Amino acid sequence: MKALGIDVGSLTTKAVILDDDGILASSIVSSGDEAELSAKAALEQTLNQAGLSFDDNLYIISTGVGGKSISFSQQQKALTTCLARGSHYLFPSVRMTIEMGAESSTIIKVNERGRLSDWANQDKCAAGSGIFLQQMAKLMEMSLADMAQLSFKAKSKADISSTCAVFAESEVISHVHRDPPTPREEIVAGIYFSVVSRIMSLCKRVGIEKDVAVTGGVALNSGLVRILEEEIGFGVMVPDIPQIAAALGAALVARENIEKGIK
Amino acid sequence: MIVAGIDIGSRAAKAVVLNDGSIISSVICDTGPESVKTSYRTIEAALNGTGLSLDDIQYSVATGYGRVLVPFANENVSEISCHARGINWYSSSVRTILDMGGQDCKAINCDANGRVTNFIMNDKCAGGTGRFLEMIAEVLNIPLEEIGDLALESKTAIPFNTICAVFAKSEAISFLRQGVAKRDILAGLNEAIATRCLNLLRRISLEKEFSITGGIAKNKGMVAKLKEAVGLEPLLAEDPQIIGALGAALFAEERCKGIGTREELKVHYGYTDGTGDYFITIDTARCDGCGECVPACPSGIFEMVGDDNGQPKAKVKEAVRKKLAFLCPGFHSCSRNHEVNCHSVCQQDAISHTW
Repeated sequence: MKALGIDVGSLTTKAVILDDDGILASSIVSSGDEAELSAKAALEQTLNQAGLSFDDNLYIISTGVGGKSISFSQQQKALTTCLARGSHYLFPSVRMTIEMGAESSTIIKVNERGRLSDWANQDKCAAGSGIFLQQMAKLMEMSLADMAQLSFKAKSKADISSTCAVFAESEVISHVHRDPPTPREEIVAGIYFSVVSRIMSLCKRVGIEKDVAVTGGVALNSGLVRILEEEIGFGVMVPDIPQIAAALGAALVARENIEKGIK
Repeated sequence: MIVAGIDIGSRAAKAVVLNDGSIISSVICDTGPESVKTSYRTIEAALNGTGLSLDDIQYSVATGYGRVLVPFANENVSEISCHARGINWYSSSVRTILDMGGQDCKAINCDANGRVTNFIMNDKCAGGTGRFLEMIAEVLNIPLEEIGDLALESKTAIPFNTICAVFAKSEAISFLRQGVAKRDILAGLNEAIATRCLNLLRRISLEKEFSITGGIAKNKGMVAKLKEAVGLEPLLAEDPQIIGALGAALFAEERCKGIGTREELKVHYGYTDGTGDYFITIDTARCDGCGECVPACPSGIFEMVGDDNGQPKAKVKEAVRKKLAFLCPGFHSCSRNHEVNCHSVCQQDAISHTW
């Protein structure tokens, strides 16, 4: 029996297959309007990679915003639980994980056994989210990767409010059109800082504890992670594929369930 | 007597011209990127067809978020005061105003004379602002003017999980894909906005005589949902969008007549005793809140405090008001001994002494 985890996020759907030695295959596909279809697409792609098929004996656990509406999963788990499991597996010393997704930010604290001890979450406002970064990249006519590279050159940062994504957009436009225009790297640093300050206020709600891991698609922005490190005051750990941490956690729970004989 | 009020908002610029207390012209223009140009364009549009020119205007007051960039205005007044004054002209019974503008939303209490008694503002989130409705109209591909009427046709409003403009937009798109009727999406959004406005109104005192001003008050679907949420019939002005500019024009008229002149905006701190008058006067219309006077005063009698509208203004510290003459030697002797003092640093010339 193979353990499978599927994380249906608002922007992408992630799937991970585990065997006894570790991750067998993983995939990331973009989420459509229907969670079920996105989950199927991610599942198929992962199974193909692993040389398996839907008919094989699978134990599937789904999580994420669309995790509840998956008909073919054996169980649904909360994102926080899966994140705790996933980040503990990736970095056993982790006590706190910052998951920065497309539409939500989740902070979890884990104990030495990898169990969830506290969490905080923000999904009501686009400021500080991955969608916000994407919008800003579009506005600056840059790729997210170029933005990250550019931000390393910044000596100071433009003042961009962190309270509303829509208003921040007008602030960025006025920085671009200012005479003389604010250097692009400073604008990017300002954008990153506005996201980081949102995350920091969420972190402070649960209390910052070492070691810290950063997961979710936003963690791919190295420039943002650097500013986060500056604010938090120490280095953070970023997995190789930060997006799949929660799906991995779901697969880990699935593997435990198989071992325990839970159906 | 010709006076004008001009309201440079974040999305629209409004002007009202009054002749002896009656409106002879009013206009609504788009706000351009340059406020100075916008202000000239707006006032010229308002004067167009009246046979008047800018020189004929005896006094003009500017308000709105771009009010400091109106070169021809004699004075600036905050939009909160202007909305209260403007609605009072239509109906002096109004005590609660909900001003729904392009980029912010305000709840205001005022008295029978149109003076602000309390207010609260939300300008930190685009949810529920005019900007938000513009975004939604664009997504639904419906002209902004029509979304109000369309929402009225809805029988079942779709509940929205969020008021965040960015998330609501993507939620609306996904509803559209699922084939939900546009009118139901609009009604759902209006409902979400109305709930948020009600929360704002509850923070001030929500009185029965209630009015809605600003551009969104023209959106019938929104007004209907607000009426439902608040449970009160709003008293709407003929054109709720020009209320701020009208209020500014009414202030201009008062200044011209010499009633409630700038003197009213001057705050006097101090006292009279047997030896003379000891007052420090701060002209709050002039004070730009720079804060220079606080460190400049050798006796440290000033402090910066937010006024009714949240703007920082210089004030004389409460603790020293009753012993002012002992701490402050007065303008002349202070200037002799100190090169830097409140008068020398105040660029706006907003501070004066009686001794």
